[in-house]
Amino acid sequence: MSQSIPTTKPDHFVIQKKKVQFLGLTVDDCIKVFFGGNAVVSIVVLALITYFLFREGAGFFGQNRQNLMVYRQAGLEYVDFIREETDNHTALTRYLSDLRLRSLNHLVQQKGLSPEAAGASLAKFDEFAGQFGEAVDPVRVILSDLTETATAIKTKFIVNEDKKEERRQLLAEGKTVEAAAVRIVPVDFNAELQPLRGTLPVFKAANHAFANTLTALLNQVPVLPAPELEQRAQRFQALTRDFLATLPLVERNLETWDHHRPVPVSQTITAFVFGRQWLTASFWQDWYGIVPLLVGSLMVSIVALALAVPLGVGAAVYVNQIASLREQKIIKPCIEFISAIPSVVLGFFGIAVLGEALRLLSQQSWLSWVPGFPFSERLNILTAGCLLALIAVPTIFTLAEDALNNVPRSFREASFALGASRLQTIIKIIVPASLSGIISAVLLGLGRVIGETMVVLLCAGNRIAIPDFTNGLAVVVEPVHTMTGIIAQEMGEVVRGSIHYRALFVVGLVLFLVSLGINFMAQKIVRRYRISIG
Amino acid sequence: MNLENSAHLFRAKPNAARRAERGIFWLFRLATYVVLLSGAAVFANIIFKGAGTVFKTEAPFINTTFLTAAPESLYVFEWQGQKREMGDHAFRAFKQQHPEAANVKAESFVYSAGGIFPCIVGTVLLVLGSMAIALSLGVCAAIYLNEYARDGAFIRFVRLAILNLAGVPSIVFGLFGFGMFVIFFGWNVSLLAGWFTLAFMVLPVVITASEESLKAVPKGFREGSLALGATKWQTIRKNVLPYALPGILTSSILGIARVAGETAPIMFTAAYVVRDKMPWEVEKFSDFFLQGVMALPYHIYVVSSKIPQNEYTERVQYGTAFVFLVIVAVIAMASILLRNRLRNRYKW
Repeated sequence: MSQSIPTTKPDHFVIQKKKVQFLGLTVDDCIKVFFGGNAVVSIVVLALITYFLFREGAGFFGQNRQNLMVYRQAGLEYVDFIREETDNHTALTRYLSDLRLRSLNHLVQQKGLSPEAAGASLAKFDEFAGQFGEAVDPVRVILSDLTETATAIKTKFIVNEDKKEERRQLLAEGKTVEAAAVRIVPVDFNAELQPLRGTLPVFKAANHAFANTLTALLNQVPVLPAPELEQRAQRFQALTRDFLATLPLVERNLETWDHHRPVPVSQTITAFVFGRQWLTASFWQDWYGIVPLLVGSLMVSIVALALAVPLGVGAAVYVNQIASLREQKIIKPCIEFISAIPSVVLGFFGIAVLGEALRLLSQQSWLSWVPGFPFSERLNILTAGCLLALIAVPTIFTLAEDALNNVPRSFREASFALGASRLQTIIKIIVPASLSGIISAVLLGLGRVIGETMVVLLCAGNRIAIPDFTNGLAVVVEPVHTMTGIIAQEMGEVVRGSIHYRALFVVGLVLFLVSLGINFMAQKIVRRYRISIG
Repeated sequence: MNLENSAHLFRAKPNAARRAERGIFWLFRLATYVVLLSGAAVFANIIFKGAGTVFKTEAPFINTTFLTAAPESLYVFEWQGQKREMGDHAFRAFKQQHPEAANVKAESFVYSAGGIFPCIVGTVLLVLGSMAIALSLGVCAAIYLNEYARDGAFIRFVRLAILNLAGVPSIVFGLFGFGMFVIFFGWNVSLLAGWFTLAFMVLPVVITASEESLKAVPKGFREGSLALGATKWQTIRKNVLPYALPGILTSSILGIARVAGETAPIMFTAAYVVRDKMPWEVEKFSDFFLQGVMALPYHIYVVSSKIPQNEYTERVQYGTAFVFLVIVAVIAMASILLRNRLRNRYKW
């Protein structure tokens, strides 16, 4: 009967460790790898951003080198020597007309003459200015002829390049017959430039006559009605003398100019980094210099930070140290809420309201002591800076408040125990202790401001020029263009793969590197100067 | 000594130092309120002026055409001594009704009539898609960082990358999306390209928010589960995620506000200036992902700077800005309020 006793198999007591293996990994390992893969995404994205910016932008330097080469080989550079001379002369005539305006104002306002009488008394001056202005005409005639010649050479070259491209494409498609049919006549720059260079003697003669006329005119500068105007006239004479001194230099430049001289590789980089002109789609010559955009970005950021740092840090100190608990609870979410205002809405607000409001404010007579006031451009650095400040304040506020919060309570208590007042504690203890955090908050605010696109695109005025720093602080009411703005504005309109397109990617790359640098610095400051608390 | 009459022994006497302190405190207070007031000024301006477009004085009080119609040109003309303003469709119908009006001289103002319905739809689609991508990537990354990873060079590198990704300007993301998705992958200007661009942009926000919520789940929960013999994944799935998920979702709403508010990344990756078809009017299912859409922020940019300004454009400008601001503000407010409530809910 022994077999009737069931032999119970204690299967539910046995710990079963059946491991499903997959490529040598257990399920748990697989899950871990999956999550790890997601964590790597941020590294991958960062790498991809770098890669694609480089990929699209790298071609720029080669293309720009060719761009500069054509500029030289087609003789555009030669013509620009002469153009610079006439441009300088134009600046001088502008100085003269400014002088006339000042004299007229002086005569009407100080001497009480009627405008007609004042104009009549300036007849001699007008005659002088007219003669001064006309002296350049012969040179200008030569310049316009040469411009046409050089443009023609450049057009020929570009047509040729297009044909080469056409042939390359046909060959790539395997259409050899059609490719052979594309006739390419190489441009013989030596021969083409002959007529251009042949004008040198004529130009020299014209230039001599021009110099003589100006020298003769210098001796007959008419007397002006006031001593300060007389001073300006003296300045004008000095400027003209300087200008006259440059004339032989122009001739020498023209003589020694050689279209064979190669464009060094370094120049393609310096032309971008130090280029003072960003000029695209021009009939004459395109320039891709980042300086005006960089200066624009910096100016806007400086104005924004100048407003945002006192406000943001001040608000952080107030909320963290001074305000009552109830006030804190209301203010903190409200400032966080401001950061949620989309930048395009702020930009629209700038166009619709703030620009006009600031201009009206600047025209109040009691504010005329402020540098740059009154101004007439509605959209300028100041308008964009004010709005960007509103974007930077929440960032600075939140991070600075965090930093203040991290200062141990004991610091404060120790300070009070020594008899310091609240203000003394804040200024001497709390703020210095959290200074590294505050500085990194400001840096991150700067990163936010420099990378901001829509506000500057809508409100900075979009004039691509280096603002005039000679007016001191009044520079803040000039319109500028920025790095972010130029990408947003021009990216939609450029031909893919063109030099302009690649230039925009290089600007993007610069922006990317600047933001990485700012981020890096902010982290470094926090880490290095963090006080040891404990 | 009569304590009741004299001042308290330890009460500070009013002196110059105290006055200076008060004055400086007032300066700090001033800074705070200047910030709040300027924020309020922007809000008030958009809300007051935009309300005129979005609301009406007669029932149903809401301008339904503005919210449900597509943008169209506005025609302004004089008819029988009266000045008439009509949208494109209405103007054509009017001309058919009155054949003698065929040659009437009308000034046209682009985008100034109709509504912004396609823009609202486009923005909603962009937000949904990009947040879905960002949440799935971000939550998984946060789980790895908080639950699996041990401190080491690799993790420090990942954290550095996240930190730096957060600082990359939005326009650079736009350029990157254009270079990678639009050109290299050949998706052209499409929803898909916009989704991925926006998702990568908002990824650091989502990761940071998720990690914070995961950290808030006490260690004991995990240890208890592990002690009972659960595997790591079972622990995370049953004992960590359920408690962290509300926090993850609410904090991520802030990411939604950011995605909805950005213009620069979608300018060249997903946004069209104008599109006649609605997003669901596609022939094939796959075309849905490869179509560009109109979006509210881009529409604001277009109507406020790309078209000639006049009295008629202001209506649509403020109206769009109003709708957009209200949407973003509601999202942001919900996020901030929910987060504050959630912080107080679980106390372990």
